[in-house]
Amino acid sequence: VRCQLSPPQRPLQASAVLRRVSDEQKKEPLASSSQQQFDSHPTDHQREQEPQGPRPSYTGQGGQESEDYESEEQLQHRILTAALEFVPEHGWTAEAIAEGAKTLGLSVAAAGMFHSDGSELILHFVSQCNTKLSELLEQEQKLVQLGEAEKKPTDQFLRDAVEARLRMLIPYIEKWPQALSILLLPHNIPSSLNLLTSMIDDIWHYAGDQSTDFNWYTRRAVLTGIYNTTELVMMQDSSPDFEETWRFLENRVADAMNMGNTANQVQSTGEAVVQGLMGAAVTVSN
Amino acid sequence: VYQVFESVAKKYDVMNDSMTLGIHRVWKDILMHKMNPSPGTLLVDVAGGTGDIAFRFINYVRSIRERQLQRKLKYHQDLSWQEISESYQEDKSKSLGNSQVVVCDINKEMLKVGKQKAQHLGYSEGLSWVLGNAEELPFDDDKFDVYTIAFGIRNVTRIDLALQEAYRVLKPGGRFLCLEFSHVSNPVLSRLYDLYSFQVIPVLGEVIAGDWKSYQYLVESIRRFPPQEEFKAMIEDAGFLKVDFQNLNLGIVAIHSGFKL
Repeated sequence: VRCQLSPPQRPLQASAVLRRVSDEQKKEPLASSSQQQFDSHPTDHQREQEPQGPRPSYTGQGGQESEDYESEEQLQHRILTAALEFVPEHGWTAEAIAEGAKTLGLSVAAAGMFHSDGSELILHFVSQCNTKLSELLEQEQKLVQLGEAEKKPTDQFLRDAVEARLRMLIPYIEKWPQALSILLLPHNIPSSLNLLTSMIDDIWHYAGDQSTDFNWYTRRAVLTGIYNTTELVMMQDSSPDFEETWRFLENRVADAMNMGNTANQVQSTGEAVVQGLMGAAVTVSN
Repeated sequence: VYQVFESVAKKYDVMNDSMTLGIHRVWKDILMHKMNPSPGTLLVDVAGGTGDIAFRFINYVRSIRERQLQRKLKYHQDLSWQEISESYQEDKSKSLGNSQVVVCDINKEMLKVGKQKAQHLGYSEGLSWVLGNAEELPFDDDKFDVYTIAFGIRNVTRIDLALQEAYRVLKPGGRFLCLEFSHVSNPVLSRLYDLYSFQVIPVLGEVIAGDWKSYQYLVESIRRFPPQEEFKAMIEDAGFLKVDFQNLNLGIVAIHSGFKL
């Protein structure tokens, strides 16, 4: 918002930077050093030969090239997304963010914009995964509405949703325990809790949960419990393709379903008992 | 300004210690910590005469580099001997990881003292000394990752020009960091601070450096310098984004930070 109030020269300069940057996304990454505005050092050349695999081929968000400039937030998001590629090697750290900034043609000092413990990077990643999950569930729902797919029973739905979400962790699984501990830091708890609860809400929403009574809280709590425990199991799972994790998940979901049934049974038994007592009372009074 | 620092150069460090009771070291350490430079960073320290910031930068980067190398060694456990020996050779020649710091000052005497200090303390790699004016830096555009100016900007005649030059020589994504005396808003501390500044410091100046006037000038220049918010606005005018400041010691000193985005 503040950007829009800046003097006129700013947008031009910023757009020059961003056009350079967005151009780079289309060209070969190494060609950035050939652009004149960069007083390229020999060291930069060496640095740009990444030991990793291919560059992130993420497409720029929306029509950024057509806008005059992007907000600071959008740039920060781009840096964090670029940094994810370096997490397996550097962990969730300022170093990974610095490497990410470099791939966008920015100085490594840009990592100074973020907290030095990597919190923003992790929160960004979690938020991205949640968005991906929502999109996935949305698509599935469309297919069901169009009649091209069967509506899944609740337990199957929950299992698939949780599995899909947890699978997004697989590329980063080695460093994920580190991320979890950072998310538990006091200054991160509000945001991480927020992201978790909105994800769980999303899943229940797409599962077709329409209830507005107290059941809503229990269902949320139950699914959160299932998700968290499965996540922890996954951290220690060394079976091929995490089979044991998915089996654990299956059992937990089944437990939850049974619990629901038992509760219902208890309730209806209770009702029957009450009715019996009432009948007895009426009989006696007569 | 030139003459003030000419006479002050040799005793600069001693005076700093006695005036601030050694706390200036802590302030500079905090600045370095905030910068958190990664190996391969190119720093320009303007008005950095005697090299305090530059030496801290080198130490910081060296220790980060060592940690990186240790981690790399662990990672390399399953490579062949050939590959390991190659990487050893490569790493040895880059103990700083290609980081470099350029110390720029308008005053030859200050640079001389700085060079002597560097030799004395054993700093040689990754360090260069350049004579230059903050209002018109002798560097190309888009060159540096970080620009620092510690206790120097209040001595610049046209601060806005210095800020514009800072913007020019920084790479996109580069960071501007300024450590400077600033405005104390707490009234109790403010009165004590004034007392100390106007009564004690010039006396110390006379006793230790034999120069009352320069230190009188110093204290006055601190009072003339714009307060935190105003300086922040000036930095934003030069084109920096995400400008912020951090007060140290309740405002006696402040670190301003901005990014060229």
